[in-house]
Amino acid sequence: MTDDVRLYERMCLMRSFEEACASGVRDGLLRGELHLAIGHEGVGVALEESLRPADYVVATHRSHLAAIAAGVPLRPMLAEIYERATGLSSGKGGHLHLFDPERRFSSTGIVGSTLPVALGHAAAIRLAGEDAIAVGITGDGGTNSGQFAETLNMATLWKLPLLVIVEDNGWGISVAASASIAPPGIAARARAYGLAAFETDATDPLRAVADAAEAFAHVRSGAGPALLVATCHRFSGHYEGDPDLYRTTAEKTRMRELGDPIANLRAGLIDGGADPADLDERAARIAAEIEQLRREVLADSAPPAADAFTDVVASITPGGNR
Amino acid sequence: MNAEAARGPLLPDMNVSRLIATTLHDEMTADESLLVLGEDVAHGGGTFGATRNLLRTFGEQRVRDTPISEMSFVGMGVGLAMSGYRPVVEVMFADFLGVCLEQIVNAAAKNRYMSGGSVNVPMTIRTAAGSIGVAAQHSQTLWGMLAHFPGLHVVAPSNPYDYRGLLSAAMQSDDPVVVFEHKSVYLRKLSSFRVGAEVPAERYTVPIGSAEIVRTGGDLTIATLSTMVEATLDAADTLSANGIEAEVVDLRSVVPLDADTVAESVGRTRRLLVVDEDYRSFGLSGELMSRMLEAVGPRGLDAVGRLAVPDVPIPAALDLERVVIPQVEAIVAESTRLVEK
Repeated sequence: MTDDVRLYERMCLMRSFEEACASGVRDGLLRGELHLAIGHEGVGVALEESLRPADYVVATHRSHLAAIAAGVPLRPMLAEIYERATGLSSGKGGHLHLFDPERRFSSTGIVGSTLPVALGHAAAIRLAGEDAIAVGITGDGGTNSGQFAETLNMATLWKLPLLVIVEDNGWGISVAASASIAPPGIAARARAYGLAAFETDATDPLRAVADAAEAFAHVRSGAGPALLVATCHRFSGHYEGDPDLYRTTAEKTRMRELGDPIANLRAGLIDGGADPADLDERAARIAAEIEQLRREVLADSAPPAADAFTDVVASITPGGNR
Repeated sequence: MNAEAARGPLLPDMNVSRLIATTLHDEMTADESLLVLGEDVAHGGGTFGATRNLLRTFGEQRVRDTPISEMSFVGMGVGLAMSGYRPVVEVMFADFLGVCLEQIVNAAAKNRYMSGGSVNVPMTIRTAAGSIGVAAQHSQTLWGMLAHFPGLHVVAPSNPYDYRGLLSAAMQSDDPVVVFEHKSVYLRKLSSFRVGAEVPAERYTVPIGSAEIVRTGGDLTIATLSTMVEATLDAADTLSANGIEAEVVDLRSVVPLDADTVAESVGRTRRLLVVDEDYRSFGLSGELMSRMLEAVGPRGLDAVGRLAVPDVPIPAALDLERVVIPQVEAIVAESTRLVEK
């Protein structure tokens, strides 16, 4: 198996995982807003290829692919998304709040709030003298938040090992980036704050992997913080169930035809002589494995009622938590 | 009082800001994972002098001046705390908590719960609260606002012994703790305090979530905290001269709220006055009155009252500030009214 086929398989796994989540909404098994990253797999695999176990990752409300990239085990992650007792957080975090301290992975559902926490991880790496970096992820919408500006300033000021990855899918819920981000844009903002700025087209996964490696290498070299803007498409609406009427059908069709990182890599592999049937067989096998995982998770029990009251604070205090 | 105090040499007389700096120093010496960050904490030694000399002792890696970026340096504290460090983050004025509320309430307070207990956020937030003539945007206490959010501990000491003991407890806690220091005490000498003026030189902790009865009396219970404790003790002297004996409970912590100690006292006195420097509505005073109703029942209470900021911003003019901040005379008058009811 070539390295590119391996990347293809990893992206298939990421998409199958998201589809296993989406089916929970369709079947009425998942409540709340579920934000999927179908179409972002080029970013996911670019992250996965460059991350090392000692690196910290702080991910957004659309975090599943980043969690997979960080090595978070799929079984407890899917169980957490399905709010089961066997989940990463025993069902108390849910899909928006995935935590795996062993893999140095966390997420937050508040746009922009990933970045200061990642800055803290970067400061900790510096203090401890570790050979690692901190990765803070945001969408394009998050680059309009004050925390983005504050974090970039401090990261450069203290030359911290922070890599900000902007998953630029062009939409903040229903508002196009063109209607919310003033020119000259995200990369220029990063350069203005003294960061090294990298840009990549993550609908082309091989290019994204190479460009991300360059951004990671910059931060690992000790040259200071960097920002990587990875453009991609959000195939779904903002959340599963979003009517997505702010984008035209033609636009959505075109995005899927031209901007699908998995289809693009598949076409490239076939051009290079790969057997289409073999690639499809691999994708089908992975999908079946994830579906099996989903069945297992669905058989898991919900958290017991008493769990609602645990883990509020660590210390035992007179009179309980309050 | 203060059975938890280690018997041994006492600290020399000093002002409270130096006491806080000494406590930070002693805890940071004992635990290398402790860090200090915030505006003006390093080279300036703290706007109120409570971090002086820490930079010289511990260096820039552990004592860091930050830009005026409250939301992000509090969030940075969250990241440090999730990476094995114990940051003590100074938010210069309690009024600035609004600027960084997101990281306090959505990350620091909730990450433990949302992670099913796998992540702790051992962070202390020190902030200066209370009125010293600096008007609406620099005088609020706001402990009631933060007490509303599950996952945070909130303390507001009144005397030197508790300032040292509660700050040490906060720095040793595995939970996020917000310490409200009162601006009026920073420049006061330890020896000027009515209660807790003797402070052990050795490290010790005051348990978070435990109130203390600082004056006994059988006619009514006055529950209060922070600087209002001294005002209440002064009022109790006047009341005593008038034949009314007030029992004064220093709550010390807002969360966890030691309702048991107050309920035990109210069970005896049957009268409760809450004195609070925070806004009156939807805060500590109403919460404590509700807890007492639940604890002793309406028939267990003969009279209930409260003195707090009457739901107006803090005015600039001293004459107006005195109208809205509970004063000794008002505590005397309200206590007398409750006892004579």
